Amino acid sequence: MAAASLAIMPQTTESPAFLSVQGLKKHFGGVKALDGVSFSLLKGEVHALVGENGAGKSTLIKILSGVFPYDSGSISLAGEEYRPANPHVAKELGVQVVHQEFNLLDHLSIAENISVERMPTTRLGLLDRQEMNRRARLALDAVGLTDVDVKAPVSSLGIAHRQLVEISRALQSKSRILILDEPTATLTERETRRLFDIIESIRADGVTIVFVSHHLEEVFAICDRVTVFRNGISIGTDRISETTPDGVVRKMVGRQLAATANEADPKRTPGEVALRLDAICTQANPKDKGVSFDLRYGEIVGIAGLVGAGRTEILRGIFGVDPLRSGRILQAGTEIRFAGPRDAIAAGIGFVTEDRKDEGLILDMPIAANMSLANMRAISRTGLLQFSEENRRTREGGARLKLKYGKISDAVSSLSGGNQQKVVLAKWLGRNPKVLLLDEPTRGVDVGAKAEIYAILKDLARDGVALLVVSSEMPELMTLADRILVLAEHEIQGELTRPEFSEENILKLAYGQVRQAGGQTQ
Amino acid sequence: MKLLKIAAAAATGLALLAGTAQADDKPVVGLIMKSLANEFFQNMMAGAQAHEEKRGDYKLLAVGMQNETDFESQINAVENFITQGVDAIVVAPADSRAMVRPLKKAMEAGIVVVNFDVALDAEAKKQQNIELAFVGPDNRGGAKLAGDALGKKLGAGGKVVIIEGNPGADNANERRLGFEDSVAEFELELLDSRTAHWETEEANTVFSNMLTAHPDIQGVMAANDSMAIGVVKALESAGRDDIIVVGFDNIPAVSPMISDGRMLATVDQFGTDMAANSIDLALEVVKGGPQLEGWVKTPIELVVAN
Amino acid sequence: MTTQVLSETMPNATRFSVRTALQNAGIGLALLALILFFSVFTEHFLTPNNITNILTQITINLVLAVGMTFVILIGGIDLSVGSVMAFAAVVAGKAITLPGFGPAEAIALAVVAATLTGVACGMINGVISAYWALPSFIITLGMLNIARGAALQVSEAQTIYSFPYAFEEFGSAMIYGVPVVFLVALLLVLVAWFVLNFTVFGRLLYGIGNNEEAVRLAGHSVYWYKVAAFTICGFTAGIAAIVYMARLNISSPIAGIGFELNAIAAVIIGGTSLSGGRGSVIGTLLGAFIIGVLANGLILIGLSDFMRQMITGVVIIVAVVLDHYRAKYASK
Repeated sequence: MAAASLAIMPQTTESPAFLSVQGLKKHFGGVKALDGVSFSLLKGEVHALVGENGAGKSTLIKILSGVFPYDSGSISLAGEEYRPANPHVAKELGVQVVHQEFNLLDHLSIAENISVERMPTTRLGLLDRQEMNRRARLALDAVGLTDVDVKAPVSSLGIAHRQLVEISRALQSKSRILILDEPTATLTERETRRLFDIIESIRADGVTIVFVSHHLEEVFAICDRVTVFRNGISIGTDRISETTPDGVVRKMVGRQLAATANEADPKRTPGEVALRLDAICTQANPKDKGVSFDLRYGEIVGIAGLVGAGRTEILRGIFGVDPLRSGRILQAGTEIRFAGPRDAIAAGIGFVTEDRKDEGLILDMPIAANMSLANMRAISRTGLLQFSEENRRTREGGARLKLKYGKISDAVSSLSGGNQQKVVLAKWLGRNPKVLLLDEPTRGVDVGAKAEIYAILKDLARDGVALLVVSSEMPELMTLADRILVLAEHEIQGELTRPEFSEENILKLAYGQVRQAGGQTQ
Repeated sequence: MKLLKIAAAAATGLALLAGTAQADDKPVVGLIMKSLANEFFQNMMAGAQAHEEKRGDYKLLAVGMQNETDFESQINAVENFITQGVDAIVVAPADSRAMVRPLKKAMEAGIVVVNFDVALDAEAKKQQNIELAFVGPDNRGGAKLAGDALGKKLGAGGKVVIIEGNPGADNANERRLGFEDSVAEFELELLDSRTAHWETEEANTVFSNMLTAHPDIQGVMAANDSMAIGVVKALESAGRDDIIVVGFDNIPAVSPMISDGRMLATVDQFGTDMAANSIDLALEVVKGGPQLEGWVKTPIELVVAN
Repeated sequence: MTTQVLSETMPNATRFSVRTALQNAGIGLALLALILFFSVFTEHFLTPNNITNILTQITINLVLAVGMTFVILIGGIDLSVGSVMAFAAVVAGKAITLPGFGPAEAIALAVVAATLTGVACGMINGVISAYWALPSFIITLGMLNIARGAALQVSEAQTIYSFPYAFEEFGSAMIYGVPVVFLVALLLVLVAWFVLNFTVFGRLLYGIGNNEEAVRLAGHSVYWYKVAAFTICGFTAGIAAIVYMARLNISSPIAGIGFELNAIAAVIIGGTSLSGGRGSVIGTLLGAFIIGVLANGLILIGLSDFMRQMITGVVIIVAVVLDHYRAKYASK
């Protein structure tokens, strides 16, 4: 599977650079994507690349993996000039990337996906299924997916497992450098820890790992060194043991971040009940015991739980995307039934979905069109678009959320992840919703934008909006929420109030280790 | 009335495909035609069904096809008829070569086969070593009748164009050759010859463009009347009443055009009667008459204004 | 990435203005090149009569392609337009030849019959493919057969003829050498352009073509928008039927065979993406012109039928390949 074990301990041995990048520049038209990047990778180290979205990490990865050529500067790999003409050459030279967006073929089996780049053949030149399955088995075992059938189609896997399949595929070929682009974005804490174990074992085999992440706690947990990017420039490389999260963040944003992250807010006082969920059973819920809780105006309720605990399904059920199997939703004491999102929106509910690209945004359409998508009536008269009104609202919405963009007619796809997410928020805020459902509101969003989004959500709650937030990031929930409902297997395992907030408490409930007495809230 | 007949025919076709046609003491004749979307065969089928009713001494099983080039289903029909043990097969082949082999099988099974409308390819018949008479109009001769009418009107040196039918179709070829015979005989000048796939709108477009390229056209020979209609409309749009048009088939829609002089002539090959006549000939043989030989020509007639 | 903080120098356009303009410019240039080529190499190409001819000849395809643009923009396809046109023409032909009506009533009846037939067929296409979320390719393939069969059934496979004289007049009427039927088609293009660019309906059609789920989750009834797009396509097939009848003064049940493919070609050459969400009806207009000019010019140049067919095929492929690069460039 991997190269022979070279037990190098990078923390103690300052070996010469394995990959060295000097003064790298890359322009797209007039846009400087990289404007002088220099750093080096040591053999067998875990090296973090951090920086806000748009800082140049993605471009650098694409250059390293042979997608783009570079304009000037130099890269050397193991002492030789490295200038891959295409991704295939890069792979041949042992540089593998696990992308943020998966490159799996959904309808093929896991085994086929793992071997897709080099299918094993029999002597007759036919596909050697046994060999293919055998290799896949080994590959999956290596990433700890021992209980997954290699013949199952990829579409049957959850998002976290897909990530691991992707990693196991990259490890199939001889890797010298493995680049993981936001590998934990879709993983739960437990899965992240498992990934870290895997990273450790790969590193022990002498593979250099490049770890791209927005999560500094992860960087500090697993990495040896960290290089910070800002605006296409590498700011500097530090040993993890010699820096602090604060120091890294300062380098990333180039200014002192307003210390909001974990600080408790001034107390919000929840108002009337906005929505009452009474024994809601979603289609995915195999049991008949539903979920019940109240959501009040002016409060932020967090929903925690592992992937597959049924968190997203509850939001989709409330919003009328998927029909409920049983249970009632009450608004102001009367039962409401939503035949579809249209009814939910009419009742003053907004839904920021988990999957920005597939469900939240129309990437190729302008920022303005996306912002007005849920609010066409406001920007039209008798079915005719009022462009000046749309532009005015778009600029207003942009200013309110400190959106960074070129022109409002630019396609949303031109924005960074954080700004895209702000467009999704702006789309709903334009309707002044009374209830806002949010699913992973800061996935793939950089640190700066994250803080801004938190501030916006808190403002909304202060203004009396009821917010229901699903998140896999526990610090996020602990920052935002007034109380956290922990879900496991489609049931509420318990409710935590602010004083009880801790990762440990959440995890205990999420793993079903404890069950709060009278866990159901009413 | 006709609707019912089509429905009846469809039902017969289905029954036939299911292979459940029951034996009767009357002789059974299987009629295989080309596309029933074509007016010509539609009329022919109606004629055959009227004929069955009138004679009353045989049973007719009729099948048509989806479109002009669908000879696959014709071959299937022949095979089904063989299985059902019909007494005679009367067939208008969609392809003059492809149909030879299946028909040979039918003959070997002792079925009387009459080939009408389009003649099977002589070369292919020789290869399969079968003798099969052809009952039908002389498409080439018919086209020459129309072409001659045009030639007489224009005189030597008249400039003409041909609008052809589907390239590759036998009757389209025959008719084009007939027109070319007239061109040679009357020393006309053939400016251009193009297909419009038997279709009015395409003929209209194609001919408009030919007229632009050759404003001096004096006469047009269209291989069927549907295309002739398209040509006439193109002439009207262009404001030209000095160009003479002849067609083929004598469909009802052209009779006003012939009466008022927008068309000079068309050719009637009495399609309605053609299948019925062939059935008569087939039944003769079934009853023990002599085998048919060579080309039994059916009448054709030039249609001009009275 | 150059992102600038909110500035006051933003243009008003919130549509795909730049990209569309670029795209149309590209198609326009290709059309211009074709026109130039035929002007140089044939004698009659640029004569007023020939221009009139071209305008007449592209009208039916243009009308069908306008409707097709709506369907393709939402990521669908309508293979039935040629057959639906024939069916509508036959129904209208039956209506117009009903005894006991004056010419004006008969024509009005025919127009209503043709458009209603088209609308009904389109609506059936839309309802079935949208309600069960089935590929429109296969549903409209079914409708292709249904409508063709219905046209043959209703007409008893006979050409219907002898329409009122006024109808024929309309079919060949000109204003300054421009056929009135073409002006009708042009009017359709303008209306479609307006609808697609300036109405909520149009905006959401683009949205559905790009990301149906996002539009649905924003509270819009994707189902009805899809049905509407197919209905519009059926409606234009009905209009095309009227143009066909007026121009040829007959209704033929075998009219329009293969017209759907020409309409699709015009839309795609015009830069509308087959996967939906991107394109414009102005592009479709240019695409229809390219096909029409090519068909006309190649006959004038004296090329044989078979060569003509080959070259038309080559042009379709080249246009789509070029569009691929144009789209890539435009999105950079």
